[in-house]
Amino acid sequence: MRKKFLIKKRVSSVKKILHVLSAIAIFFGLFACQSNHIEIKKPPTDRHQPYNYVGHKGMVVAAHPLAVQAGLEVLKKGGNAVDAAIATAFALNAAEPFASGIGGGGFMVIFLAKEKRVTVINYREKAPGHAYPSMFLDEGKVKDEWRRIHGLAVAVPGALAGWTYALKKYGTLKLAEAMERSIQIAEQGFSVSATFSHINKDEYEKILLNSGESSPYLFEGLPYEPGDVFQNPNLAKTFRRIAAHGWQDFYNGDIAQSIVEAVQNKGGLMTKEDLSSYSPIEQSPLKGTYRDYSLYSIPPPGAGGLHTIQLLNIIEHWPVRSWGFDSPGYIHHMSEAFRFVFADKARYLGDPDFVSVPIQQLISKEYASQIASKILPHNVQDSYPPGPIDKDLVNNHNTTHLNVLDEWGNIVSLTQSINDFFGSGIVPSGTGFLLNDHMADFSPLPDSINAPRPHQRPVSNMAPLIIFHKENPFLILGSPGGTRIFPSLTQIIINVIEFGMSLDEAIEAPRFFSYSTQGKARSLFVESRIPPEIIHSLEELGHTVEIRDAFDKFFGGAQGIMILSGKKIILGGADSRRDGAGEGY
Amino acid sequence: MKKCLLSLSTVLAMVMVCLSIPEETREDWPRLEQPLLITSAGQSADVQIAGVLAKKAGLTATLSKAATEEELGNIRTLVLVIGVSMKGLGVAGLDLDQETSRVSRLVDAAQNQNIPLLCLHLGGEARRGTLSDQFLTAFLPFARMVMVVKSGNKDGLFTRICGDQNIPLLELERTIDAVDPLKTLFQPDNEPE
Repeated sequence: MRKKFLIKKRVSSVKKILHVLSAIAIFFGLFACQSNHIEIKKPPTDRHQPYNYVGHKGMVVAAHPLAVQAGLEVLKKGGNAVDAAIATAFALNAAEPFASGIGGGGFMVIFLAKEKRVTVINYREKAPGHAYPSMFLDEGKVKDEWRRIHGLAVAVPGALAGWTYALKKYGTLKLAEAMERSIQIAEQGFSVSATFSHINKDEYEKILLNSGESSPYLFEGLPYEPGDVFQNPNLAKTFRRIAAHGWQDFYNGDIAQSIVEAVQNKGGLMTKEDLSSYSPIEQSPLKGTYRDYSLYSIPPPGAGGLHTIQLLNIIEHWPVRSWGFDSPGYIHHMSEAFRFVFADKARYLGDPDFVSVPIQQLISKEYASQIASKILPHNVQDSYPPGPIDKDLVNNHNTTHLNVLDEWGNIVSLTQSINDFFGSGIVPSGTGFLLNDHMADFSPLPDSINAPRPHQRPVSNMAPLIIFHKENPFLILGSPGGTRIFPSLTQIIINVIEFGMSLDEAIEAPRFFSYSTQGKARSLFVESRIPPEIIHSLEELGHTVEIRDAFDKFFGGAQGIMILSGKKIILGGADSRRDGAGEGY
Repeated sequence: MKKCLLSLSTVLAMVMVCLSIPEETREDWPRLEQPLLITSAGQSADVQIAGVLAKKAGLTATLSKAATEEELGNIRTLVLVIGVSMKGLGVAGLDLDQETSRVSRLVDAAQNQNIPLLCLHLGGEARRGTLSDQFLTAFLPFARMVMVVKSGNKDGLFTRICGDQNIPLLELERTIDAVDPLKTLFQPDNEPE
């Protein structure tokens, strides 16, 4: 009896508490409705827990919170998506210097809302004029270090020229205005994250080799520890110089001279003429479809967009929804598709300014159907040859990622890189920025369609995307991650469209990757969150499975924006595999 | 009053517990001699950090990322820098099994020749994980002394292994903090400063 009474008493107390809590919630709810401020929840302490940033007018998502702030400030002051994207890109050079910057290159896909037009700016690096197909062979053997940590590894940077072009044509800010925040970040510094420190330690040998113990990317000759303050006064000085003298100083002036000296001192071939002759190009986007979605991305030499379209075309033939997310059947079929697509990449992809690339055939539904029919449900193949392409039909037309959406509906999806983390490790004297090692994206084999030739652009895996659903922008997406870029992006798209995940859930979900080289299957790499019984089933199908970390940056660092209900709700998703962040307003 | 006494006794108890935790002192450190052979266990770039730390400490050291037992020659201390990097293994042309057997052979040879082993883990929390932990559990027990960047020992793995084996363990806040202890360890008489 007493027990019953006590329980009743407790229930009644709980009820009272709930009433009070509800009253408080209603009060604050009403208060929130009355104010126009968007309540932005703080991201969860566990950074791997899916979290969607929310906005109603605009959104910036990028690989570092300081870069996000730089872009958002521009948007809030009335700048458009292009202004904000360039401010974010400069800020990334200061805050995430190991992944991109003025020493590298990239691509951006821009949607101009008023014109309902998508355009692409290609500011991919180019090979120096003295490049030649066998430049990475030493007595017939490939010298891999020449491709990555040597002066020969450095391609002519295109980032600054591309950003300037975009600002002049589609932005409203002056170059110096877009750089303001990045100068502040470089001068004042910021606290180094665990990701920065880990990558700094990983690339220590290269940094030591090419810029010595006094490198701006080392602290007292050693890698930065989490919590250390990283400042880069030389980069701030370089940015100030560009702000004062214009971008031409980088391609024709003193900075150009420093670049050439640094590259040649390390055995490279770049000349001042290579820099002064560099120009970005504006291109029509590549378009594909998946069910009732349209996808726009970059054309070759960007391979990522093309292969994402190709993969989605193949997946249209499969009942992936009924197979289920991370089922052995789904992972097996996808991995097999990756392997066939990589065979095509090696065979057909090059710089269309120099070689014929059968773009329309590769992204056609018929071609995808042929590949889908080759994939066996119960075992891996013995070989993965590139598909047959009718040569008469060949047409000659034709790594950080950030997304910006402004209040007018303009969009920028931008992926750029200096290739490997910390690029070539070469820092031109006194400049504070890293030079890329994008010559490694050329094939070292002289008879490859993608062998280095003078002024040619190497094939890139980048794939900045904008996806439309019935004419309306729906998903803006991209990722770094080298060869994993387009397989990862395809998985995220399928996670959203087929498996009904929210944006960040789709980004954080466990990933897998496989590829083929010279017709042979390579390992199937999986994040350790994929259950052991699934891995066992995959091994039974003939896959050699390699287990990576639970959230492994090997699989990229995707950033996305999702636009819902005709732009009434904007969601941002940033990958916790790196230091991704977002903010809306 | 009761509450006050309770709080006081709690504080006292905590102080007692803290005082009872044995702290490694320099008197417990082993006597180590030069020259050193610094090698990797797992091919992470942390081995290069160890090379620079040894240089900063003014030690005579040879850095050989994939050293073999033949390189022990006149070596008086073997330094094993533990941490797996798949990329590093790829560059070295080694797989995990090959790396494990190379390090096993080297450590065995050092033990047979009475060459003490100093283990370093410099990569912090980010350089932990299934693969690195395999090397840690396999080779730490053979160490004469262990140094670890503190964040790498958040779960107490180093404390457990070193405690079980009675191995002096030194936790470092930062990698640079290894320089002074290295100087002390390799002083001619190894006298506490």
